[in-house]
Amino acid sequence: MNEIIQRSKEIITGYDGPKVRIMEVCGTHTHEIFRLGIRSLLPENIDLISGPGCPVCVTPIGFIDEALYLALEKNCLITTFGDLIKVPGTEMNLAKARANGAAIRPVYSPDDAVEIAKDNPDTEVVFLSVGFETTTPSSCLAVKKAKELNLKNFSILTANKSMPNAYLKLKGSADAFIYPGHVNAITGNSVCKHLKEEGVSGVVAGFTANELMSALAVTIEMLKKNEPFFVNCYPRVVKDEGNPAAIKLMDEVMELCDTEWRGLGIIEKSGMKLKAEYSDFDSRIKLNIPVIHGKPNPACRCGEVLQGHCKPSDCPMFGKVCTPLHAVGACMVSDEGACSAYYQYGQM
Amino acid sequence: MENIITLAHGSGSTQTNELIDRIFKSNFDNPYLTADDAAVLDIEEGKIAMSTDGFIVSPYEFPGGNIGKLAVCGTVNDIACMGAKPKYITCSYIIEEGFPVEELEKIAESMGETARKADVRIVAGDTKVAGKGQVDKIFITTAGIGNIIEGANTSGAFAKPGDKIIVSGDVGRHGCTILLARNEFNIDADITSDCAPLWSNIESVLNVTKNIHVIRDATRGGVGTVLYEIAHQSNVGISIDSSAIPIDPGVRGVCSMLGLEPLYLACEGRLVFIAPAEEADKVLNTLRSCENSEKAAIIGEVTDENIGKVVLYTAVGAKTLLSRPSGELLPRIC
Amino acid sequence: MCVGLPARVVSINEGTAIIDANGAKRSVASQLIDDLEPGDYVMVHAGVAIAKINSDDETEGNEILGII
Repeated sequence: MNEIIQRSKEIITGYDGPKVRIMEVCGTHTHEIFRLGIRSLLPENIDLISGPGCPVCVTPIGFIDEALYLALEKNCLITTFGDLIKVPGTEMNLAKARANGAAIRPVYSPDDAVEIAKDNPDTEVVFLSVGFETTTPSSCLAVKKAKELNLKNFSILTANKSMPNAYLKLKGSADAFIYPGHVNAITGNSVCKHLKEEGVSGVVAGFTANELMSALAVTIEMLKKNEPFFVNCYPRVVKDEGNPAAIKLMDEVMELCDTEWRGLGIIEKSGMKLKAEYSDFDSRIKLNIPVIHGKPNPACRCGEVLQGHCKPSDCPMFGKVCTPLHAVGACMVSDEGACSAYYQYGQM
Repeated sequence: MENIITLAHGSGSTQTNELIDRIFKSNFDNPYLTADDAAVLDIEEGKIAMSTDGFIVSPYEFPGGNIGKLAVCGTVNDIACMGAKPKYITCSYIIEEGFPVEELEKIAESMGETARKADVRIVAGDTKVAGKGQVDKIFITTAGIGNIIEGANTSGAFAKPGDKIIVSGDVGRHGCTILLARNEFNIDADITSDCAPLWSNIESVLNVTKNIHVIRDATRGGVGTVLYEIAHQSNVGISIDSSAIPIDPGVRGVCSMLGLEPLYLACEGRLVFIAPAEEADKVLNTLRSCENSEKAAIIGEVTDENIGKVVLYTAVGAKTLLSRPSGELLPRIC
Repeated sequence: MCVGLPARVVSINEGTAIIDANGAKRSVASQLIDDLEPGDYVMVHAGVAIAKINSDDETEGNEILGII
């Protein structure tokens, strides 16, 4: 253990003030916090809540149903980040559709999906475009490239999300937020600074042991001062202005829309969809997808878990009906979903 | 002879004989290889270990080996882990119509070479040809037997609290190699499969001490899965130090790119030894002096707490459970 | 939300860079970062270099702890 971790640990474990609630918004933070065992170090008066920052977890069930429709009814080749393959739709997940003969292919990047479309001109290729500001530029680049190549067999099914308006919905869920480092790498820090003006505190954190521990230590120290704060604890990657080229690219290709978050409902202007001039690459328009409403399991409490209103273990299905092998809710599917993380790491 | 496998090669006709003579006999030649219905073998007295395994790897050729080498290593290593010297193996091929004969020859050559290296005889075989599309190019099943050497008594159920856990080298190389060889993610890395026959490593250890509780080869599911299996079978806890696990930098790079856990990537040439603490250094030093286990390391110990679980000691000085993989390993972005 | 991969830029050609993470190499989009040069370190996500990395996490950690 190095000095950074040692000193951070002393600050965190030595905290003896009133109870504080800290929400890590980002799912990769949730994952790393569990993987490093950080929760086991926390004293009882520090509550670390896992927020809605896993794009897979907040993707509504109807989106999976749309993808299943394209795979099974329209014989499209579905390309996707591996994360989505096990997320349950109303009837089944994409893994099961694949076992039934659907063409489903995990890719590392949307650019790979474009290449697949280029190499298979007779196959209709759809990329499942999920993600926050970190991931959205990769979809925008893919669409621009497909347009340049004049591909007629490529489109994306968008469920992209935008964080700023979601933060407002979460306001009050915690005393301080650990902001998602890689979202801020794109968006910059202005939103977080603005939130500070409104009394919402937080720090931007990176993802290594050093970064997570030092960010938590800073959060604790700042909370002691009892006034709103914002600290960029990930300056080696996050600049105040973010990534202007990525912001410009997103403005060019996509626009904000109202969108449904699994469990949270519709949040105004918190989604991204393709602009009209790129509608040839919008799967919903291009492939005439009918309106599909997914039917979530009514007992699933993922929505409350995502808002920090309840712990995964408060859900009646947790660990019984709903396990990583037989996931009911999305939070159990993704490795970084709060339920999955609680299930896998929380049993000590 | 034709240059591709046809249904006739599997029909028992002259084409079958030609295939056997040219491809298999020449590569597997040994006094026990039978032309009859079954091989007749000499067996030493004592206990016999026997195992069988099917191989369906895609692609069938990869950096560091091919399906033939894999099919020999898989079975001889399973036998070796019981403290038995592998002696005889059989092999059964299911080949897709249209498979290039030249490729089959390469596979057979590699099987013969690996068998000689592992000091086992291939004594019987079978070839079936399946119609186009019925199998993916070539499947091989091997079975084998070996004599358990006196004094060796290992099982996944024998781990005891206080025992040390030793892994014979860096983890996850085979799985990573196959992942890259499929080229689905367009990643380049200089990684070769760890696929190797390991009896000589086990024999060297058993020559130094027979006081070994568990020997397992980590294949699909990787070292992580083996540790969970042992924790269950032996009804103990397993505690490992994340910083002590040997991982090839390239494997680490690929895993961080795709969000995968190296402990769950397949190995085909890695052993997990569990031995009493006082034997651990002997085992470690012996392994380090052998080919294919130069990077052996003590990675943790068996505990009487957290029964059935694998606990990781992490970089921040905390303990956490090694998460269990749920089915297929998928690359993740979040 | 978003696994990031720190990697070294090996070469750049028209908006595409070859990056190297511990020996694992891949081509990624580099057009969102200006003035990128071989030898620079970048954060990669889903096949796109999203930010330049300007120090290691130890230097950063020490600076961060310095402010409290």
